[in-house]
Amino acid sequence: MSRPKLLALLCLAVVCAPARAVEPPPLAIAIHGGAGVIDPAKMTPQHAASYRAGLAAALDAGYAILEHGGSSLDAVTAAVRIMEDDPQFNAGRGAVLNHDGDAELDAAIMDGHGPRAGAVAGVRRVRNPIELARLVMEKSPHVLLVAEGAEEFALEQGVALVPREYFRTEARVRELEEARRQAGELKAAAPGPTGTVGAVALDGAGHLAAATSTGGLTDKHRGRVGDSPIVGAGTYADDDSCAVSGTGQGEFFIRQVVAFDICALVLYRHLTLAQAVHEVIRKLRHTGGEGGVIAVDRAGNIAMDFNSVGMFRGARDSRGRRDIAMYRDAQ
Amino acid sequence: MYAIAIHGGAGAVPRAMLSALREQRYRAGLEAALDAGFALLARGGSSLDAVSAAVRILEDDPSFNAGHGAALTRDGAAELDAAIMDGRQLRAGAVASVRHVKNPIELARRVMEKSRHVLLVGAGAEEFALEESFVLVPNHYFRTAERQEQLECEQRGERVSDLIPGAQGTVGAVALDGEGNLAAATSTGGMTNKRPGRVGDSPIIGAGTYAKNGVCAVSATGHGEYFIRAVAAHHVCAAVEYRGLDLQQAVREVLHEILGGLGGDGGLIAVGGDGQIVMDFSTEGMFRGARDSGGRREIAI
Repeated sequence: MSRPKLLALLCLAVVCAPARAVEPPPLAIAIHGGAGVIDPAKMTPQHAASYRAGLAAALDAGYAILEHGGSSLDAVTAAVRIMEDDPQFNAGRGAVLNHDGDAELDAAIMDGHGPRAGAVAGVRRVRNPIELARLVMEKSPHVLLVAEGAEEFALEQGVALVPREYFRTEARVRELEEARRQAGELKAAAPGPTGTVGAVALDGAGHLAAATSTGGLTDKHRGRVGDSPIVGAGTYADDDSCAVSGTGQGEFFIRQVVAFDICALVLYRHLTLAQAVHEVIRKLRHTGGEGGVIAVDRAGNIAMDFNSVGMFRGARDSRGRRDIAMYRDAQ
Repeated sequence: MYAIAIHGGAGAVPRAMLSALREQRYRAGLEAALDAGFALLARGGSSLDAVSAAVRILEDDPSFNAGHGAALTRDGAAELDAAIMDGRQLRAGAVASVRHVKNPIELARRVMEKSRHVLLVGAGAEEFALEESFVLVPNHYFRTAERQEQLECEQRGERVSDLIPGAQGTVGAVALDGEGNLAAATSTGGMTNKRPGRVGDSPIIGAGTYAKNGVCAVSATGHGEYFIRAVAAHHVCAAVEYRGLDLQQAVREVLHEILGGLGGDGGLIAVGGDGQIVMDFSTEGMFRGARDSGGRREIAI
């Protein structure tokens, strides 16, 4: 190419650049409130409306942060925190109870910029585990703190602990009693997937983030940790590929490193986000695991898929999409 | 074809500071673990049994940072993490933050084989151990004079890298058996002077330990937080499976580019579905050993 032509092209590129910059970068957030939680046959209209309202509050709070130029990290934290405080969901207050009748909470957050991560597992007296996970990421050299050591760190960081009673709701106590009764009858019954909450987001600076929080399984063995606080399994974010939060039978998600596997397929196999999510959910079904994931990529594409009866979910982006759904038919 | 590789931790162990006597001790410990694992494979045993046996021997050896002789927390206690994975059906078991289990790798295996779960932590993991008839031991069983001294040095702010593989040490094994099954196992006391409740990469499936038949089995050692963020062990397998990289390239890339890019150092051992063994590290040294049915047998630091 001749020098003048090259210069002309360069000038054109410079002239064109501002025009492209005018178009605002995409924003996107997706949330979930658990997969396979409630049999559609037993879902009353009141229940459905109440879950939808809970999901909408979390989704819109997260999106508002993105819209005001906030970070994806702040958006996923806010969305998950709202669902932790909402007793309908299996995280924070209203979390399911373990075999001893206590809520034992796990949470993780990951910042795709770095990437860096923080997580806590087996905490029993931290009101918002997602906030403690974030403090682990931001104020400690560690990624994962568990049980009493994690609560010790919370106190050192000025996080007030709450009594274990705070998490217990009447509905969860009944569920535990029911689970114990059933466990006596059919010992080999595999635990069904329970609700977990999570959020993934892309902000205006192009950063991805993911957050997940859960009470785990009803009647679980004390000390059992599922996939939610395991970076790569239930939670993962990397600015180069995608952000993922999972919900379902945690043990299967850990063994398949589900969240990271989706991003690895995007990065290494160059699959679209939807294809990668579909492929990993297919593999999950193949091994007998049940659950779902939400994911967002650096272009702002959102993918939500599951192989359970339903997944409580919501998505909103800067192209005008805003939907909340519970079952397969997007209802 | 069958093969096994083990590690006894990576870190800054300046050659000159490693006394001949001490070096002899480490080599003997590595040899015992390597040969015990290999003997099982040679008799037609499974890779799962081979990695369990090798790691158990390293846990019992006070020279290494796992089981007896594990690094101590800032409170002066041992807090142990371990994981095992069977590449056949991607089954896995792990325990974290246990304080009274003599061989954490055996408890991890029990979690895999006798529970519906993959990871149990803290007092709940010990409760499970009792339910499974494990005999718990007092925490001082794990404590050695050397680790105590190391903790005190660290708390005084002195560097103690020459003492024993410590600050970032971990033990692990990967193996391929005659039936083509891969397995990986890792066990550790974590970092000296660590905060109670801190869990590193060793018990995290995908980070410090991973195995998938036909692809690879990986065990890691190093600065755990970086290995978790990089999902290091599974990352090696993903690079092999999805990009078709050779195992050696995959290990090198994850170790030097991905972990190096994050600022983390350490080492990885891996064995492929074809029995190829790769051992690489970004630290000054890594206690390691490899043996296969093709006649290879080496121990190195």
